[in-house]
Amino acid sequence: MSWRRRALDLGVIVALLTMPYWMAAVGGYTELATRVVIMGLAAMSLNFLLGYTGVLSFGHAAYFGLGGYGAAMAIKYWNWGTLPAIAAGALAATVAAALIGALIVRRRGVYFAMVTIAFGQVFFFLAFRWNAVTGGDDGLTGWRRQPIDFGFAQLDIVRNDHALYYFVLAVFAVCVAVMARLIASPLGRSLVAIRENERRARFLGLAIERRIWLSFVISCFFVSIAGALYALLNNFIDPRALRFDLSGNFVIMAVMGGMRSFWGPLLGAAIFVALQDYVSSRTENWMFFIGLVFVLVVRFFPRGLLGVLARRGAA
Amino acid sequence: MSQLVLFNVFNGLIVGAFYALMALGLSLIMNLSGVINFAHGAFLALGAYLAYTLIPYIGFWGALIVAPILTGALGLVVERLLIRPLYGGDTLYSLLLTFGLAYMMEDSIKYVWGAQSLPFQAPTWLLSPLSSQYFFLTGYRVFMIVIVAAAVAALFIVLGYTRLGMRIRAGTRDLETVSTLGVNTRLLRSVNFGLGVYIAGLAGVLAAGLLGLSPTIGDNLIMPSFVAIIVGGLGSLVGTLIGGLLIGVVSGLTAVFFPSATEAVIYVMMGLVLLIRPRGLFGEEGRVH
Amino acid sequence: MSLLRVKEATKRFGNLLAIDDVSLSVEPGELRAIIGPNGAGKTTFFNLISGLFAPTAGAITFAERDVTALLPEQRVRLGMARTFQITEIFPELTVEDNLRVAVELAAGHGLSPWLGRAAARGINARLEELLATGNLTSKRNHRVGALSHGDQRAAEIMMALALKPRLLLLDEPTAGMGDQETYDVARLVKRLHRNAGLTILLIEHDMRLVFNLADRIMVLAEGRVLAEGTPQEIAANENVQRAYLGEAAK
Repeated sequence: MSWRRRALDLGVIVALLTMPYWMAAVGGYTELATRVVIMGLAAMSLNFLLGYTGVLSFGHAAYFGLGGYGAAMAIKYWNWGTLPAIAAGALAATVAAALIGALIVRRRGVYFAMVTIAFGQVFFFLAFRWNAVTGGDDGLTGWRRQPIDFGFAQLDIVRNDHALYYFVLAVFAVCVAVMARLIASPLGRSLVAIRENERRARFLGLAIERRIWLSFVISCFFVSIAGALYALLNNFIDPRALRFDLSGNFVIMAVMGGMRSFWGPLLGAAIFVALQDYVSSRTENWMFFIGLVFVLVVRFFPRGLLGVLARRGAA
Repeated sequence: MSQLVLFNVFNGLIVGAFYALMALGLSLIMNLSGVINFAHGAFLALGAYLAYTLIPYIGFWGALIVAPILTGALGLVVERLLIRPLYGGDTLYSLLLTFGLAYMMEDSIKYVWGAQSLPFQAPTWLLSPLSSQYFFLTGYRVFMIVIVAAAVAALFIVLGYTRLGMRIRAGTRDLETVSTLGVNTRLLRSVNFGLGVYIAGLAGVLAAGLLGLSPTIGDNLIMPSFVAIIVGGLGSLVGTLIGGLLIGVVSGLTAVFFPSATEAVIYVMMGLVLLIRPRGLFGEEGRVH
Repeated sequence: MSLLRVKEATKRFGNLLAIDDVSLSVEPGELRAIIGPNGAGKTTFFNLISGLFAPTAGAITFAERDVTALLPEQRVRLGMARTFQITEIFPELTVEDNLRVAVELAAGHGLSPWLGRAAARGINARLEELLATGNLTSKRNHRVGALSHGDQRAAEIMMALALKPRLLLLDEPTAGMGDQETYDVARLVKRLHRNAGLTILLIEHDMRLVFNLADRIMVLAEGRVLAEGTPQEIAANENVQRAYLGEAAK
């Protein structure tokens, strides 16, 4: 690994570890920092499929939301603890991803993207309509995250914003470490092979559809954890967490930061979350400006921030 | 009971006609240029709002003719400035761009016309029922079906019998060859996009008369249009047409027996089609990418 | 027992009859060349053998298994490796990473989330071997898309070789190459055939190469077998001359 990458890794780690402290200085607040980490995880999870395997899903919010609803329902209806609740959300979403993935990997390109969008909507309508269970349009309320009991100590993530941030960061760190390991492994290289030249990958003996399915499931697994954390952060989850506009946001985060780099999506998420927070507090027409960001990024920064920097560095 | 069923099937047919019209425009653009126009719903809404603004000056019929043309013209501008640079690149970028465009357009509509629903004046003589027995057979609904049918027929005639249509169809199969034959493919794609958006604008004017005018009028129609294309088969316009009508009717029938599943059922249909016949009802083998 | 047997293969695309009742039998250790004028269906024939599409009629047997219904990746795993007329490699990756993917897949590590030290050592050793055989060791860290045509082809052949194939299908390996590059590729192919005893099926336009390397030659024209035999027999065959040079050859 080049020293440049090691320096970047270190920089990111330090920035994340100290974010609650410098967040206030740039006009933010701890909850915003937590949101950045959660969205960063979501965007990085999507990028496992998009940037590394080269497959576009425009419906990842479905699994994000499923993770959130799973966790919320586990806490509300069964009184589960925080960690089991996250696991419940992840399980629900991953099973859904496995089933749906099997159905859609036979298609690719434009078609695949369309189908992911459409399937995302199924869950949106489910959450919307199934009032009794999901709370419908009003969302699922009447529950909150519980302190985490380690036996010898308790982590008060209920009132302590800092504690919550570091808990979320810890989960993020574990997920991201696993993702990094996978990417640097033969499995990860086989996914990059599919992205680089599907035909050649096939003629090296790779079962392409199965491999894409696997990448899809892994990606959805991690995004669902982000969704569960999101529900915990807000003590609330509603159908908007499943809607395709959130899916689009994940994609723009990955692209904006740089699809081809590991930390790019995190950077994109940070920028996007901060931007959204800032713009929506200033004007009612924030949707216009967010849309403008999409258009500008596609026209002028398709390689994303880290992509542009990488070019300059390599030149 | 049968009245209820008939009512819902008829309703379903109308809704399906809308889905089909929207989906045809989407399909047209997707087939030739490989672009998923996420802003299609926004163009629909724009067509409706432009008509609303024009009606006091040129009446309903005038608006019905002019508003879609204006919408199509905007489509041409959008294509030339924003979408053309993306051809040949990853699908991802055109999706993101049209996605952002949809946001911008919807918010602009809210800004100009307000976020509240507006009253849309279709000619009153159209709104009265045509039959005392079948009360739901209002003039407007029949009129709509007639217009949609005429538009679809006109589209197929243009595609089947004009030089433009032939070039579009050939370009859908092999744009490169069409280009080497001397056809200006950039112009072709522009016109094709404008045509697709024109259709969206037309659908918007009609929809406003039926559903009322609000900035989100396009949102509810764009997803089913996607499903219509998937069910009917990517690459086949006939498939898209039938797909739209089919999901409309099925959705209408479901409203009678399982009202809460009305929206979900179209996705169930999509799932079934993907499971049993992934290329869609009329899709062509091998048209994967 | 033949390594590859194609029995009366026919392929229709709509109304177009691309391959018409073609049979072929390749013995282990043979270097068989397929030649023919443009549009004869040579690449289509390769596509049938390697599984890109199924034949309209006929059967394909490889290593005594009926592979007619198998997907390309399945045939690859049985021991069939192939290169393409337009080099199919991973252009943005380095030469080393290109080969690494192939070696890891061949060693059965395609799904491994990590590599043990022994396995890694084995893979690295094989990597060095392949780099050396293809004369690519000095270029290992270059982006393979930036290399010369000849080096790209060598990399592609090495990737195919990484799979330890029983049959190597080479589709016009010297297409678009100048004399020196053609010579290098020819030398590589000859080495693989003579030293490693690899069974090779080769599509080529370069006649010097074909007559130099091939044990037997099959001539395809308009989807049909025009002639089959040793290089000497083919060179003397009037029908072949006519197919290539037109009636004027008579």
